[in-house]
Amino acid sequence: MFTEIINKKFPAKDIKAPESLIIKNIFIPGKTPNEDLAADILIEKGIIRSAEGIVDTCGIEFDYPLYPGINSEKKHVLGISSNGKAAILNAGGLTCSASFTDMHVHLREPGDEEEECINSGINAALKGGITAMCCMPNTKPVIDNDCLVSFIKMKAAKSDFNIYPAAAITKGLNGLEITDFGVLKNAGAAAFSDDGKCVQDSKLMYEIMRYAKYHEALLILHEEDYSFSAEGAMHEGYYSTKLGIGGISPLSEEIIIARDIMLAEKTGAKVHITHISSKKSVEMIKSAREAGINITCDVTPHHIFFNDSALKNYNTNLKVNPPVRGPEDQEALIAGLKSGVIDAIASDHAPHLDSEKNTTFIKAANGSTGLETLFKASYTKLCIEENLNFLHFLKLISTNPSRIIGHKAGQISSGSNADIAILDTKKQEIFDVRNTYSKSSNSAFDGIKLYGKIICTIKNGKIVFLDF
Amino acid sequence: MLSVKNIIDTENLTVADVNLIMENTATFSEVLSRDFKKVPALRGKTVLNMFFESSTRTKNSFEIAAKRLGADTVNFSASGSSLNKGESIIDTVKTLQSMIVDLAIIRHSDSGAINYISSKINIPVINAGDGKHQHPTQALLDLFTIGESFAEFKNLKVAIVGDILNSRVARSNICLFKKMGMDVTLVSAPMLMPVNMDCFNVKIASCIDDVIEETDVLYMLRMQFERQEKKYYPSIREYNSFFSLDKKRFMKMKEKSIIMHPGPVNRGIEISEEVMENEDEFIERIKINRQVTNGLAVRMALIYLLLASDQLEKEYVH
Ligand SMILES: [Zn+2]
Ligand SMILES: [Zn+2]
Repeated sequence: MFTEIINKKFPAKDIKAPESLIIKNIFIPGKTPNEDLAADILIEKGIIRSAEGIVDTCGIEFDYPLYPGINSEKKHVLGISSNGKAAILNAGGLTCSASFTDMHVHLREPGDEEEECINSGINAALKGGITAMCCMPNTKPVIDNDCLVSFIKMKAAKSDFNIYPAAAITKGLNGLEITDFGVLKNAGAAAFSDDGKCVQDSKLMYEIMRYAKYHEALLILHEEDYSFSAEGAMHEGYYSTKLGIGGISPLSEEIIIARDIMLAEKTGAKVHITHISSKKSVEMIKSAREAGINITCDVTPHHIFFNDSALKNYNTNLKVNPPVRGPEDQEALIAGLKSGVIDAIASDHAPHLDSEKNTTFIKAANGSTGLETLFKASYTKLCIEENLNFLHFLKLISTNPSRIIGHKAGQISSGSNADIAILDTKKQEIFDVRNTYSKSSNSAFDGIKLYGKIICTIKNGKIVFLDF
Repeated sequence: MLSVKNIIDTENLTVADVNLIMENTATFSEVLSRDFKKVPALRGKTVLNMFFESSTRTKNSFEIAAKRLGADTVNFSASGSSLNKGESIIDTVKTLQSMIVDLAIIRHSDSGAINYISSKINIPVINAGDGKHQHPTQALLDLFTIGESFAEFKNLKVAIVGDILNSRVARSNICLFKKMGMDVTLVSAPMLMPVNMDCFNVKIASCIDDVIEETDVLYMLRMQFERQEKKYYPSIREYNSFFSLDKKRFMKMKEKSIIMHPGPVNRGIEISEEVMENEDEFIERIKINRQVTNGLAVRMALIYLLLASDQLEKEYVH
């Protein structure tokens, strides 16, 4: 069974693993002092029983290797104890973390299953070390009724994966009429978002926030003033001028953020601003928080990894909305992550068919896939290039987004859910989108050398992805 | 030989490329002044004229240029929207390429479309204008026209007036003029000016009167009030008072200065009726018709250079 996963490199959902899993020789950041003094983790029935010290396997490890062809000299070996009760994974000093949470994903189901479906999205997520995600409602039809929320919850449950659906704020994302927040919340909507669209009417937004406060609902807001963005396709700056592409001023986002901060202050609604892109946005959110306003925000890996100079050859895979901005904005976003003003990193995974990207820049669709690169790309930028503390970094892709969407995140400690990602933080590989599990291959990171490889993803104590 | 295989923008041309193009243009310009205006240098070659955006002037210019060189031409016209549903630009281009053509001349309404198409096909491409990006043959013919009036390009004072924001002519000309050492001033209003123009090493002026007396080359851009997506610039009347060339302003200009325009002129907007009427009288100064003639020579030079070097390369390989 395990052979299958390894040879086909496909996340097996139906592995009948033994009830216990012992991960030997693993580095737990913040717990074990260094990789040489690694610890063991014992997992039983999906719960971590022990995550300190050494688990005694009575010398029977690897009695029965689960797959042939890998010799025991190889560091990372998966075997089974001779009594057949425990699977044993020798991590050989690799690093582990609570698995990741991506709070901004487009799964395209229902409606655009040729681009992505819930199952393919889950597979891509597991390959990226992600075991919980919040999916956006701009499907066809729009997730603005309880049946669709239930449908998504049901599909996710079948795959033993945590999906937190965001339901639409306005019916059909029309920006005019508020959806049934109460009914949707009861059906399992974890948040409300018109992502891809933005409510332009300020009075309506005020009523939305009052209503969200009344239902204690989380709003995830895509901030865009259409009068600034309508004629543009990339950041307004030197490169838009040079390339002759209409520019989108950061004011498009900033004006709406300023408005929504004022509305959040007035109403007390719980507001999360997604994919912020500019320096001024970071500054405004910082001072709003200092004033005690209930507001959080996230940024995407592509907005911290790239700036508009990466578009100089009209790279359509990096055509995203909001656009990647200038170097100063990029720096401010990185600084915001370091200082804690920005709470989370979210991928804005947006799959598109080749035909929507293989065209002129102006005609190309917005968005990049991102589940498989959420960790790698942000880790490379923040921890390798910018020396961000690794524990702080893990908060940005696990603890904080989980807290915001109300997911009980894993922790590497006794009694916690065994949702774990095992990482090779030193491994550097070219990201090749031909190997993606997503149905689409429009990744802005294709062909880029990234640090950090997800070796194994464990969900509820089961190995759901393994790539030695 | 040119250092480039395609003419997509003016940025990637070296000064040596530009000089080579100018020399060849001079040769073809001389040919065009003869009674027999043909040089059958490219007999047996086929040039594809693909216009995804309507144009008569530029298309005719390219077609005549190819024919004067003895090449056959294939024409294709379609506005972006009238492509068959589901048929991509690339499918269209590849279909035509498979008819064994040697060079493609392409115009498209999307900026970057020629970069995109040229990366997918393996014949030389000339950009005949893409969106608001570049129009390199216009820039080269303008340069040649300037060269006919002045001994050298260095430090010539050029003023480019009008809608810089929406103009591919401005983008390709600024780059080429700077490359050749000219002193470029842009005369425009905020809503007609792209951001970060300071990075292009140009001067900025807000009214034509600020530059009129010292300018050697006054380059008027076409102002398309009817084609503005959103009308931010107030009115023609306002435009006239800040940017139009009228008789009074014309009289203030240096004696040897020249007036250029990519055509067609909106009489009464960029240039007043009165000045246009005196076009023949001031033929030495108003170069608009000369630009059109030189366009033919420049395009002959470019087609010739691209195909000749392509030929040389092939011979070298075999
Ligand atoms: Zn969005
Ligand atoms: Zn999104």
